[in-house]
This record gives sequence, structure tokens and C-alpha cells, in this order.
Amino acid sequence: MPGLNVLTVDAVSEIDAEVVAGRVLTSVAGVSASLGWDLKPEGLCRGDVCVPVRDDAGIVDGDHVDLGGVAELLGMASLLDEEAAVLAISAPAADRRAALKGRVAPDFTLPDLDGNLHSLEEFKDRKRLLIAFASW
Amino acid sequence: MIGVFLDESADDVREWAEGISFPVLLDRDHLLADLYAVSNVPTVVWIDTDGSIARPNSAEVGTDMFKDFTGVTPDEHMQQVRDWVREGVLPDDADYEVDDLSADEIDARLAFRLATHSRRAGNEARASHWFAAAGELAPMDFTIRRAAMPLQGVDPFGEAFFELFGAWREAGSPYHGVPRG
Repeated sequence: MPGLNVLTVDAVSEIDAEVVAGRVLTSVAGVSASLGWDLKPEGLCRGDVCVPVRDDAGIVDGDHVDLGGVAELLGMASLLDEEAAVLAISAPAADRRAALKGRVAPDFTLPDLDGNLHSLEEFKDRKRLLIAFASW
Repeated sequence: MIGVFLDESADDVREWAEGISFPVLLDRDHLLADLYAVSNVPTVVWIDTDGSIARPNSAEVGTDMFKDFTGVTPDEHMQQVRDWVREGVLPDDADYEVDDLSADEIDARLAFRLATHSRRAGNEARASHWFAAAGELAPMDFTIRRAAMPLQGVDPFGEAFFELFGAWREAGSPYHGVPRG
């Protein structure tokens, strides 16, 4: 299978995948490499968490796994650029809802202007003013 | 305070960040536009010691230039912040619930991501296609419409911006956050 770039909120990865009728079909390894979730008999798992996958979810077809379908199960939206072979995947909706409805500030990790990574968690136990800004 | 710039490169930000002593981070993939439903900047979120959101997205500003656009002086906001930090006092609007992103707004962010990815790869034609798609999906979102301007050689403080601003006002100044009077 040819290479396809997957853009998640954390990373850019290249996986082997085929696009069939607008669906991105990859292997179990491709799912793990791009999303960081492993498809196991007990479901989609990451660390201690497993999300059950119903047989009729339609995301598994023989050796092939529908990556967009997997993302959807995890509450992530996806958008395919078939021409450029790139799939963009959003953050899980649950994280944003935790912020907007649950009023829990989701953690994130971003680089400073020197390229060093920092996360919101780094400044925990303090009152924080998160200011989103831009040069535009 | 933690400043997060929804900009493409550190070079775009350095001038603005000069003299700032608090952490300044670069969010070139607009993670905060997704995770916190930020639809314009500046947006300020007050986060408490336990990680809860004390006051959600609001269009506070730090410079007088924006005062006309939002109707809030920077001094008022800083006084509110002081009251919160020193005495735990929250303004009346602190319990406002921010509207979630619509499906189109989520897709717009994905399209924008495809646009910047294409642009970084040197594929201007593909980038144009995706910037246009993103703009159609979320025409009132400044993190989509205005952020795309400098990435397409358009002045984000020029005519295109004033047109966008006018349309936005006419649409009732939609914003994911505490509404301004």
C-alpha cells in the first residue's frame, strides 16, 4: 500500500494505506502508528483504557481497518485530501466538551519560541490566564 | 499568564513577544481553536489552581487598539483579574457556557490544517483550495478567515479584514465565548 500522511493534534505520521471510495483503509499497525490506539480483541485500547468496538461498526474489513471510522469511534472528526494523500484528524470532542461543559481545562503541549515543549500541566497548582493571541 | 500564538512561525511572533516575561508558545496547527473552541483572538481563559475553568473564553484585550472592537478597556479586565487572583472574586459572567463548535466549524479547522500542511510542503495550489474550503465552512471564524490572510499574501489589517469585520458585525458578532455588550 502506498504512503499516506496522517495529521493529528500531536503529530504527523506516514502510514501504508489505500483510499477506497473515500475511505482510508490501513492495517492495525497503521492505526497504532497514526492514532496511538491499538485495535485488540477487547476493543480500541490505549494505556488502561479500552473502547469497545461493535461488530457492526463497520470499521474492520478483513485485514483492512477504516481509519476514519476508528477516529470517529474516538470522537475525532477527519478530513481527507485524496489528491495529496493526507488525512487530517481533530482532537477528541470529549476533550473540548470537558472544557466547554465540564469546565475542565484540557492539557496541551506546545513549543516556545526556542522550540522547547511546554504543557499547561507544567503550571498546575497556580491560577493561570491562558491568552490566545496572534500576529494577525 | 501563558501566551499562545496561533501563528505559522516563531518569526511572526517574536516582535509581539518582545518584552513579555511570561511563557509564549507557538500553536501553528491551531490546537487551541479545536480544544478550547477559540474562534478569534485575543481570547482569555481563566484557569484555577485545580485545573478547572474559572471563567471561560472571553475577548479581553491587552492593547488599546482593540478597545473599539470589543468595548472593554484593558484596565477593567486587569482589575477583574486582580480581584480573582487576590480574593477569588469572580465577575458575573464567569459561569457563561461557551457554545461547542458546529460540525462545519470542526471541518473548517481540519481544512485549515490541510491548507497549512500543503503550504509547508510548497503546494500553493492545494493550500489555496483548502483555505477557500475552510473559509466557506466557517466564514465568521477569525482563526480561519483572518489567520489565512497572511498565509496567502493578504494584509490581515487591510481591506480584506475590514470586509470580514463588517460582515461579522452584521452577522451579530458571533464568538465562542462570553458575549460583549
